[in-house]
Amino acid sequence: MDWLSFKQQYLVRFWAPVPAVIAAGVLSAYYFGLTGTFWAVTGEFTRWGGHLLQLAGFHPETWGYFKIIHLEGSPLDRVDGVMILGMFAGCLAAALWANNVKLRLPRHRIRILQAVLGGMIAGFGARLAMGCNLAAFFTGIPQFSLHAWYFALATAAGTWVGARVVMLPLFRPPVRLEPVTGAHPLSADQGRAARRFRLGMLVFLAFLGWAISRFLQSPTLGMAALLGLGFGLIVERAQICFTSAFRDLWLTGRTQMAKAIILGMAVSAVGTYSYTQLGVAPKIFWAGPGVVLGGVLFGFGIVLAGGCETGWMYRAVEGQVHYWFVGIGNIIGATVLAYLWDDLAPVLVTPFQKVNLLTVFGPQGGLIATLVLLALALLAVLAWERRFFAAKALQGQMVKEVP
Amino acid sequence: MTLPAPDFRLDMRGEPCPYPAVATLEMLPRLMPGQVLEVICDCPQSINTIPVDARNHGYDLLEVQQDGPTVRYLIRR
Repeated sequence: MDWLSFKQQYLVRFWAPVPAVIAAGVLSAYYFGLTGTFWAVTGEFTRWGGHLLQLAGFHPETWGYFKIIHLEGSPLDRVDGVMILGMFAGCLAAALWANNVKLRLPRHRIRILQAVLGGMIAGFGARLAMGCNLAAFFTGIPQFSLHAWYFALATAAGTWVGARVVMLPLFRPPVRLEPVTGAHPLSADQGRAARRFRLGMLVFLAFLGWAISRFLQSPTLGMAALLGLGFGLIVERAQICFTSAFRDLWLTGRTQMAKAIILGMAVSAVGTYSYTQLGVAPKIFWAGPGVVLGGVLFGFGIVLAGGCETGWMYRAVEGQVHYWFVGIGNIIGATVLAYLWDDLAPVLVTPFQKVNLLTVFGPQGGLIATLVLLALALLAVLAWERRFFAAKALQGQMVKEVP
Repeated sequence: MTLPAPDFRLDMRGEPCPYPAVATLEMLPRLMPGQVLEVICDCPQSINTIPVDARNHGYDLLEVQQDGPTVRYLIRR
């Protein structure tokens, strides 16, 4: 294979989402084993909100929430911080390789409101639940923490409500079907594509070099940066979207992303299990009403915004202005939660137990229970898909019989 | 194989997901059987939504063309 076809096939074309999500599951298990924490982004965004407040002269480090998630140092000294920098670098490199960076301005003003409001609700909900789709879902379930299962069910319910709301006429300015006689001319500017590709390579190699040099000094931070780069490449190139995995079940009956995520979690669960058996302690959080409320808000918010905490990252670097507002909303929502935490937590969160399924059912039992629950989730998705298209076929028949 | 020329165009540039996929599914039934819809979209996420949805809902996906930030889908009712 020559360089040009390699580039076209592996660096420019989008990657198939199903293997990509499974690869993310494998990387997230490695991430846990090598850094001792799980792949998560919202906690670090909350710390950024904290740093901004410090710059403005406030003292968020005295708030209870920042004592739990720690606000010491700068993003460059933290595992989550360098991982997120890696993700941004990976997303940007991948988007540049494919000439997929373009300033995309929202077509309607209502989208900005949707983005900020949805982002705030999702950011608030995610932090109330101690994590977003990653810490409380994709990497939370493989940590064997019961709270992640509560979060998953609550998020599903929230996205169902969200899917109803985003289809309201308010959010649906009319679209036009234009009669045409020929194909839309494509404007492939090869010169620009080549320049963007080189810039993407520069970003990729520069970050890779920095991460390797970090790795030689501090294995944990360097590895976090390297894995972050991998996560970034995967989520952008395969357009991994946790929001669509839930939302599009309800809207169009599409199950591909949901199934891929369940498989990714199963793979990740086995990997995480192996590290816990070697003595790495899993991250377990409180399983109480806080995580249920947080999940519902998070599910609703991500659908209203059109993307979650991971989703806005790659869309923002692709130049989708809509998602710059989602990101700002997220940081505001998470910071508001941190501010209210000392009042909310004693009622909704901390009185409830941190339940580790590996302790409740024993190590083997916990792994089996998790895999059985994931299999049940997969069956539920398949049953929903069947029901969705059966109802649609019936509806189609009725329409045909009426005239 | 030469592809048929589209009869209708749906330009969803600037709109984020899920709107391009939802609008595509709403517009396709308005075509006569055999007619072809061209969807132009700059939401990269649509690469995972429009092709799968079109097939799931019983339409023929004739072509997907990726041109930098713009993706073009050709779908026959």
